[in-house]
Amino acid sequence: MRVIPRPRRASDAGTSHLYSRWTPYLFLLPYLLVFLLFRLGPSIFGLAMSFTNWSIVGSPEWVGTANYELMQIDPRLEAALKNTAFFTGLTVPLLVVLSLALAIFLNQPHKGRAIGRVAAFTPYVLMSTVVGVLWTWLLEKDFGLLNVYLEKLGIDGLPWLVSQDVAMYGIILTTVWWTIGYGMVLFLAGLQDIPTELYEAARIDGANSLRLLRHITLPLLAPTTFVVLMLTIINSFQVFDQVYVMTSGGPGTSTLTLVQYIYTTAFQNLRMGYGAAVATLLFAILIVFALVQAYLYRRGVTGATT
Amino acid sequence: MKKLGLKVGVMLMVLALLLPSMASAQDGDEVVTLEFWGGWTAADGDIMDELVQQWNAENPNIQVTLTRQQWSPLFDAFVVASASNEAPDILAMHPQELAQFIVRDLLTPLDDLIAGSEILTPDNYLESAWQPNVYDGQLYAIPLDLHMHGLYYNLDLFEEAGIEAPPTTGEELIEIGKQLTVDANGNHPDDEGFDPENVVQYAINMHSNHHAFFQWWALYRQLGGQLISEDGTQCAMDIDKAAQAWQFLQDLVYVHHIAPQGQTDYLRDFLSGRTAMLIDGPWQMPSLEAAEEETGFRWASAQYPQVFDEAYAVWGSGHNLTLPANVADPEKRDEAIQFIEWLAANSTQWAEAGQLPTYREVMESDVLTEMYGREAFLAMMPYEVFLPNIPAYNEIFASNAPTPMMVMAQSIMLEQADPATAVQTACDEITFILQMQGQ
Repeated sequence: MRVIPRPRRASDAGTSHLYSRWTPYLFLLPYLLVFLLFRLGPSIFGLAMSFTNWSIVGSPEWVGTANYELMQIDPRLEAALKNTAFFTGLTVPLLVVLSLALAIFLNQPHKGRAIGRVAAFTPYVLMSTVVGVLWTWLLEKDFGLLNVYLEKLGIDGLPWLVSQDVAMYGIILTTVWWTIGYGMVLFLAGLQDIPTELYEAARIDGANSLRLLRHITLPLLAPTTFVVLMLTIINSFQVFDQVYVMTSGGPGTSTLTLVQYIYTTAFQNLRMGYGAAVATLLFAILIVFALVQAYLYRRGVTGATT
Repeated sequence: MKKLGLKVGVMLMVLALLLPSMASAQDGDEVVTLEFWGGWTAADGDIMDELVQQWNAENPNIQVTLTRQQWSPLFDAFVVASASNEAPDILAMHPQELAQFIVRDLLTPLDDLIAGSEILTPDNYLESAWQPNVYDGQLYAIPLDLHMHGLYYNLDLFEEAGIEAPPTTGEELIEIGKQLTVDANGNHPDDEGFDPENVVQYAINMHSNHHAFFQWWALYRQLGGQLISEDGTQCAMDIDKAAQAWQFLQDLVYVHHIAPQGQTDYLRDFLSGRTAMLIDGPWQMPSLEAAEEETGFRWASAQYPQVFDEAYAVWGSGHNLTLPANVADPEKRDEAIQFIEWLAANSTQWAEAGQLPTYREVMESDVLTEMYGREAFLAMMPYEVFLPNIPAYNEIFASNAPTPMMVMAQSIMLEQADPATAVQTACDEITFILQMQGQ
């Protein structure tokens, strides 16, 4: 984060008394209120809720750590954790590598550049429900566009969303298509921050494209890569919408994710306490990633020298 | 220009909001407004809208506002609204969904409220429609309609294959099914050289969603099976019978090859001739009627087959009307009852949406019986079996989450899992959920 320089005190004597050390906080106040009211407050409330039995109506009943004990023997939660980890483990590398490749390609001066950037970013603008419905059709087993084309190429189509072994790949494919534009935009910005003189100097020294990529582009992109990596991990752990629309967690439990499990438990089955306990678990997982990020950032491992 | 349009629009909206109240203020009488929530989001919702408008025109002193959204978020909103005493005055749902709200005191018992009603009496309704709304000896909802699985068939494909009547038993279903199933070379399932990987026309659809479970429920009940113990604390499935019912459905796909695997769009496949028959609910009739008009698609309907002999049963559910407990003004309940009475007596129009009204006078009227395709469904009304109305309904049976029901159905029908094993797993999970609820 950049430190915002203290504004210069106005030389005009008429306004100087308006400025005090509390002024910056005054400007922070609106966000602080929103943060307290809609973020921190509910988080603390949620944590407290996780020690109760509550169905929204009626008053909560204190049950101590019963919800956390239940979590240890809940097969659905285990499935949700595994599925979410699998989804994250596959989606994150795919998204980082592909959006980087796409950004590098669309950073070259060629004719298709502008349209390519628009095409790659457009899906990200779509609502998750639209993406879900669209891909449910594309991935349909018998008449879906994807299988039809695969079969034209002589490859057997896959039962994308109606098989426990394949469904998660269908979700991952959808997610990569949908969100690749986001990483790409960040990478593009990063690429344009790299001074062109560096490339020119290296070329004069006889470096080929591969060496340019390895020794200039990638190292100087490291801070961006780090940001994309972290955002993708955090977003992937919270995957919900597209899964809910496309498979509702099925077939079987093969695409059940943590957030869907929280939603179902708390709002459909009206077990707010247990839902809150699972949400606390998700929060703990994400905190671990945030701490790792903060640690690496401070250590400068990311190459963040700016 | 744009801004002007916006301003005019806003003014019109404000006017529209003010006008009814101004009009009523002139009457001098107090106008009661009723909030009515329902989950009808298709053509049925539009018809309900029309019915409400008709009521509003006839009853200037009792104005009903209909709010529609999908059932699942509707119930989420209902619970939250109940927590702050802002629940709607009338809420539609399905009988098997009652218990989860009754145990949380969110619904009003109706027995006293309808004591003086000439219309809302058990005699005016089929027992199969009335009884599922009774919980612990008290009535919590008035039935509006019923729906259940029936069998649609493509008249052209039946004539082509020389079949005169739709199947009524399991054996007939398989036998006729084989005649109606054709592979790319024109072979049928029992022919030499039949290629199950290359079927161009299947006899019948096979659900890969919760409707697979509903079909199993019908067959299991035809075998006389129970799902939940009387005291509601554990799974009471007869594993052998449960597996036998699943085996029949699984074999249609994997042994007889007369139904497709992993199907997702049942109506489209039926209309395109990919399947010659369709198991589905009466709500499909408006779509079939539209196809008939546009493309000349010829169809007819029949009762769901009786596969097992113990008793005839068919999966079903229905819409009913409840009076939520946590409302802003409980005084309005009498007006709510008046509206429900009117809706019962005027529900003929509701049948156009493919719904089957349960109010006897309407149900037995010529208008309804003479509507094309309705007869078979009306005949099944007394035989429909509801899913158990228990507080843990959502956790066990919801179709938009990996509930024991969904997992069992999908593993058997999509992954060809062994039915007995899958049933046992589901039974253990159901008991686990019920005992957790009991705590």
